[in-house]
Amino acid sequence: MTVATDLNPYQGRPSGDTAFARITNNVARIAEVPTPPKAWYIAFGIALILLAVFFGSIGWVFWTGIGAWGTQIPVAWAMPIVNFVFWVGIGHAGTLISAILYLFRQHWRTSINRFAEAMTIFAVMCAAIFPGIHIGRPWLPYWMFPIPNQMEVWPQFRSPLEWDVFAVGTYATVSILFWYMGMIPDLATFRDRSTSKIRRIAYGLFAMGWRGSSRQWHRYERAYLLLAALATPLVLSVHSVVSFDMATSQIPGWHTTIFPPYFVAGAVFGGFGMVVTLAVPARQFFGLKHIITLDHIEVMNKIILATGMLVGYSYAMEFFIAWYSASPWEIFTFYNRAFGPVWWIAWTTYICNVVFPQIFWWKKLRRNVWATFVVGVFVNVGMWFERFMIIPSSLTRDFLPSSWGYFLPNKIDYLTLGGSFGLFFTLFLLFCRYLPMVAMAEVKGIQPSAHAHPEEH
Amino acid sequence: MSDKQTDAKKSTGEAAKTEPDAPKDGAGTSKGGAGGTPLHGLIAEYETPGALLSASKKVRDAGFKNWDTYTPFPVHGIDGAMGIKPTVLPWIVLGAGLTGLATGILLQWWTNTYDYPYLTSGKPMWSLPAHVPVMFELMVLFSAITALVAMLALNGLPEYSHPLDLKKYFARATDDRFFLVIQASDPRFAEDETWKLLEGTHPTAVDRLEEDRVTPANMPRPLVFGLVLVVLGALVPFALIARARVSTSEKPRIHIIPDMDFQEKFKSQRMNPVFEDKRAMRPELEGTVAVGALEDDDHLYRGKLGDEWAREFPAQIPISDSTMKRGQQEFGVFCAPCHGQVGHGDGMVNERAVELAQGTWVPASDVTQEYLRKQPVGELFNTITHGIRNMPPYGPQISPEDRWAIVLYVRALQRSRGATIQDVPEADRGSLK
Amino acid sequence: MAEKVSTDDNIRLDDLAPKVFRIAGVIGVAALGVAGVLGASAGDQLNQFLHSYLVAYMWALSIGLGALWWVTLQHLVNAKWSVVVRRIGELLAANMPLLAILALPIIVPMLMGNTSLYHWLDQAHVAHDEVLSHKKPYLNIGFFMVRAVFYFVFWAVLSRYFFKRSLKQDESGSPEFIARMNRVSAPGMIFFGITVTFAAFDFVMSTEAHWFSTIFGVYYFAGCVVSVHAVLALVLFYLQGQGRLKNSVSVHHYHDIGKMLFAFVVFWAYIGFSQYMLYWYANIPEETVFFKVRIGGDWFYLAWFLVIGHFVVPFFGLMSRHVKRSRFWLGFWAVWMLVAHYVDLYWIIMPTMHAERVSFGLVDITSLIGLASLLIAGTAYNARRVNLIPTKDPRLAKSLAFENY
Repeated sequence: MTVATDLNPYQGRPSGDTAFARITNNVARIAEVPTPPKAWYIAFGIALILLAVFFGSIGWVFWTGIGAWGTQIPVAWAMPIVNFVFWVGIGHAGTLISAILYLFRQHWRTSINRFAEAMTIFAVMCAAIFPGIHIGRPWLPYWMFPIPNQMEVWPQFRSPLEWDVFAVGTYATVSILFWYMGMIPDLATFRDRSTSKIRRIAYGLFAMGWRGSSRQWHRYERAYLLLAALATPLVLSVHSVVSFDMATSQIPGWHTTIFPPYFVAGAVFGGFGMVVTLAVPARQFFGLKHIITLDHIEVMNKIILATGMLVGYSYAMEFFIAWYSASPWEIFTFYNRAFGPVWWIAWTTYICNVVFPQIFWWKKLRRNVWATFVVGVFVNVGMWFERFMIIPSSLTRDFLPSSWGYFLPNKIDYLTLGGSFGLFFTLFLLFCRYLPMVAMAEVKGIQPSAHAHPEEH
Repeated sequence: MSDKQTDAKKSTGEAAKTEPDAPKDGAGTSKGGAGGTPLHGLIAEYETPGALLSASKKVRDAGFKNWDTYTPFPVHGIDGAMGIKPTVLPWIVLGAGLTGLATGILLQWWTNTYDYPYLTSGKPMWSLPAHVPVMFELMVLFSAITALVAMLALNGLPEYSHPLDLKKYFARATDDRFFLVIQASDPRFAEDETWKLLEGTHPTAVDRLEEDRVTPANMPRPLVFGLVLVVLGALVPFALIARARVSTSEKPRIHIIPDMDFQEKFKSQRMNPVFEDKRAMRPELEGTVAVGALEDDDHLYRGKLGDEWAREFPAQIPISDSTMKRGQQEFGVFCAPCHGQVGHGDGMVNERAVELAQGTWVPASDVTQEYLRKQPVGELFNTITHGIRNMPPYGPQISPEDRWAIVLYVRALQRSRGATIQDVPEADRGSLK
Repeated sequence: MAEKVSTDDNIRLDDLAPKVFRIAGVIGVAALGVAGVLGASAGDQLNQFLHSYLVAYMWALSIGLGALWWVTLQHLVNAKWSVVVRRIGELLAANMPLLAILALPIIVPMLMGNTSLYHWLDQAHVAHDEVLSHKKPYLNIGFFMVRAVFYFVFWAVLSRYFFKRSLKQDESGSPEFIARMNRVSAPGMIFFGITVTFAAFDFVMSTEAHWFSTIFGVYYFAGCVVSVHAVLALVLFYLQGQGRLKNSVSVHHYHDIGKMLFAFVVFWAYIGFSQYMLYWYANIPEETVFFKVRIGGDWFYLAWFLVIGHFVVPFFGLMSRHVKRSRFWLGFWAVWMLVAHYVDLYWIIMPTMHAERVSFGLVDITSLIGLASLLIAGTAYNARRVNLIPTKDPRLAKSLAFENY
C-alpha cells in the first residue's frame, strides 16, 4: 500500500476533518498534484499517437479522396457513418446520467455524472468529425448550415441528414452548457484552493466569480433542473434523428418504425458500456473508490442489463415483423442478416449485446469489477458491430440482385476508427488531469451531514 | 467600536481558539487598514448546514433584506429559511423555447417553401412531419442557452470582485464551511445590534467585512483585450461567408481534388484518338447478332404477315385466361397511367396534363373507340412497340409476349365497351346481379 | 421492523366498497346489456358491436395493463415515494381476471365463426390473399387462442401475485416479501413487455391484417402508461373526497403522478410521431394504407384532434408545477387524457369498419360506460377488505415524508 502511494499520489485516504473536506481533497488532489504518475503519461502518450494516426488517416483521405476508404457502391454509407453512430451513441449515457437520472432523483448519479458528461462531449466531438469527412469535400461543410451563401441556395430541411446537423449541433451545445454549468461551483472550489497565479486566473475566469451565494444557488438549481428537463427529450430526439437517417429510406433493414426508440435504447446501453469501461480503471487509478463505490458499479450494471433487454426486444421485433410483413425484401434481408455472408456481424452483435450482459442477473458478478470491465468492453464491441450490421450490411444486398456486393473495411478505415479513440482519450485524459472529475458540490449535497436539521441551541 | 477596530475578528468563546481552521485576520484588514474603509457588512461562519439554517431563520425573522448566505453546495431548505422568492427564470426559458419554435417554423418555411422552393422526393413544399425535428431542436437549443445565460445574468455573474474575496478564510465557502453575511446597506443594519444578533446564532466566528478598496474595479487590460480578440476571431469565418455572398470573382474556381473533377476516362459521344474513326463509343461489328436478338419471326416480333398487319395472334401466344391476366397486369403497369384502368384515355397522367393545359399535350386515346376496334391486332402491337404521336415506344421495355398479352387485353376492353348482358356467358350472369 | 406509521388516517373503504361495487356493477352490466342488444339487433353480423366493444375493451385493458406495469416497475426499481399509492395500483392491476372474462365478447364470436372483426379468420378470403396466406402460421384461430390464454393467464398470475404478496406483507410485516416481489419483478417485466406487444399485435394491429409496424406494441404501451397515471390520480382524488387517505397522500405524490403523466404524454407523441413520420416519409403503399384511411374522410379531424388534444394542449397544460400540484387541474387533465386515449384507440380501430365517416353511436357509448363501470366495480370488489396503503412496508415512512419540489 505504501509503495502504491509513493508511485501514485492519488492513492491513500483523502485528508480532511469533515466529510465535505474529504470530498474536496479527494477530487481536487487529482488536478493539483504537480506531476501525475508515470501511468498517466504513458496513457497520454498512447492517446497522442492514436490522435496522430487519426489526423494522418484523415489527411490521407483528404489528399486522395474518399476512395481511400473501403466505401464502394452499393455500400455508400460505410465506416464513417458506422463510427458516427457509434460515437454519438456513446455520448447518450452521459446525458442520461446527468439529466434523466436527475429527474428521477437517483442521487447515486452525482458520483459519476461529471465524468459521464465529459465522456459525452468528447464522444460527440469524435462523432461530429465523421459526417464532415464522409462528405468528401471537407472545405464545404458550411453548406449544411442555413447561412446565406453565394449560391443563394438553402439547405434542404426535408432531409433527415439536415435534421442531423441540427440535432447533433444542439446536442453538442446543450451537453457543453450542461457540463460547464455543473462545473461552475467546482471550478470556484479549484480557484479558491489554487496556489499559483495562473491556476487562479484560469479557474477564476471560468468560475465567473461564483461564491456560493444561496440566492445564486436558488436560480442555479432552477436552471439546472430546466436544463435537465430539456436535455431529456433532447437526448431521445438526437438518436431518434440519427435513426431517421436510415429509417426514412426504403431499404429493408433500415426502414422500420421501431428504429427511434431502438436506437435510443442501444445508445444508452452502449454509453453505459463505455462508462463502466472507463469508470472501473479510473476509480482504481485516481483513488476515487470512496466516491465511485461498488454500489454505483452495481446500479450501472443493472441498467446495462435492462437496456440490453430493450435492445434484444428490438432485434426480436425486427425479425418477427420482417416475417409478418410478408414483404419478400424484408424477409430476405433478415434471413441474409442471420444466415447470409454477413452472418458473423449479426451474431457478434447479438451475442455481445444480448447474451453477455445476462451474467448480471447474479449479484456477485454485478459487483465484480473484472466482470464489469469485460462485459463493458463486449458491449462496446457489440454496439459497434450493431451499427456495422445495420448500416453497411443492409446495403450489401437490397432489391436488385445485380447490384449486390459485399463490404469489408480496409486499412485506412481501421486507422480512422482506431485514431478516433485517440482523440477521445486525449481529451479525456486532459479532462481528468485539469478539471474536477467528480461533481464535488453535488456529492457533498447528498452526504448524510448535508441534510440540514435546524439546530436549536 | 474601537474595541472591534483593534480586534477586527471576534470569536465566540472557546470554539474559535481551539478550531484550527477558524478565520484569521484576512488580507483585507491588514492591507486596507481599518481606518477609512467603509463597512460592507458583518460575516458569520458556521460549521454545519443545520446551524446556518437556524441562523438564517433568525435573520429572516429579524426583518433583514440585504443579506445572503454562502455554502459549498445548495443547502436543502435554505430557500424557505431565507425567504427567497421563486425565480422568474422558468418563464424566461419558456419564452425562449417558444421563440426557438417560431424560429424553426419561420426558418424552414422561408428557406424551403418561400425563398427557394423546390420539389424533393415528392414531398409537399411545406411538409410538417419533416419539419418537426428541426423545430424541436431549435426550441431546445434556444431554451438551453437562455437557461444558462439568464441564470448568470439574474445572478449578476460574471462578478469580477467582491469584498468577501479579501477574507482568506472565506475560501472555505466552496469547500466545507457555511457563511452568513448581513450587508451594512440594509436599513435595519446597526453594527452593534447586528453583531449581537449574529453572535446569538451560535456561529464559530463573527467578523467585520470591509469594502474592497484594494482590487481594481475593472478587469486587467490584457485580459479584456484577449477576450475581445477571441470574440472577434470567432466572427471572421462568418464575415468571409457574408462577403462571398455579395462579391463576384473573375478567377477560375479552385479544384482542390483535380483528379475527381477531371477524370481520365472517355465519355460517350466524345473523341477517342485510339480508334481510327475517333469515336469513343464503339458500334457493333457488322454481321454480329447478340444472343436472343435475331427476331426472325415477323408475326411474333413485328405483327406482320408479309406486308399486311396480322389479323390473328401468333401461334406462340396462347389465347388463354393466363395470357389475359398477364395482359391486364401489364396494361395496369404501362398503359393505365395515361389510358386509364379501362382504357378510356382518362389515366392520371393524362388528367393532370389536361389540367395543366400546356399546349403540347396530345390527349391519350380511348383504346375502345371505333377505329381502334377495327385495327388489326398486328397494328395495335406495332403501336405499342414503336409508339405513336407523343406516346413513347414500349418495345425496349416490354417483352413481345407481354405486348401481345396487352393487345389481347385491349381487345377484351373493346369488347366489353357497350357490351350487353347477352355477351356474358349464361352461367356467369347470376354473379352480376 | 416496520412500525405502523399513520394510525390517524382512514385507510379502509369499509361500507364504501360494497356501495360502489353495487352501483357500478349494475350500471356496467346494464350498459353492456344494452350494447349487446343494440349490437345483435343491428343485423350486421355484430360488426358494429364488435368494433365498438373492442375499442372500449382495449381502453379498459390499457388501464389494467398500465397498472400492472406500474406496480411491477415500482418493485423493480425499489421505489420509495410511491409506497402509499402502490396499493391503488395493485387494486387496479388485480382486475386482470375480470378483464380476461370481459374479453369473451370478442373471443366467443371468433370461435363461433364470426369474421367481421378479424378478416384473417375468413378462410375463403385468406385463400385468395397472398399476404394473409403467408401470415397464416401466426394469424389463425388456434394459435390466436393459445396466445390469448397465455397473455391473460400471465397477467392474472402476475397481478394477483403482487396483490396477494403485498397483502400478506400487510399482515406479517416481513421485508422478505418485498425482496421476493423485487426479484419477481425483473422477469415479470420482461414477459410483460413481450405479452403486451403481441397482445397489441393480435387484438388491434391484426384488425388491419395486412398492415404492420414494429413499434406498434410500444405505441399501445405508451397509451397504457398515460391512462394508468390518469386513473391513479382520479382514484386518489375520489378516495380523498370520501375521507380516505387524507393524511397519507399529499400534494407531493400528486406532483409525481403529474410528472409521469406529463412525461408519458410526450412519450406517446414521440412514438406516434415516429410511426407516422417514418411511414409518411418512405411512402410505401403497403405501409401508408393504414394512415391513408385514417387521415381521409372524417378521420382527418380525429387525427388532428390527437395531435392537438393528445399532445399539444395537455403538454402545455401539464407543464407547470402548479397544475401538477392542483387537485382540480390534475383531475381535469387526467379526465382529458382518458378521453384522448379513447379517441386514439377509436381512431386506430374504427376506420377498418367505417372507412369514411365517423359514426359514433349508442353502441360505442354503452360499451365504454359498461366496461369503465365494471372496471370500477372490480376495483371496489378487490378493495373491499384491504388497507388502502401497504401499512407495514418498510419504506412507508419515507413515502409518507416524501417531499417533491
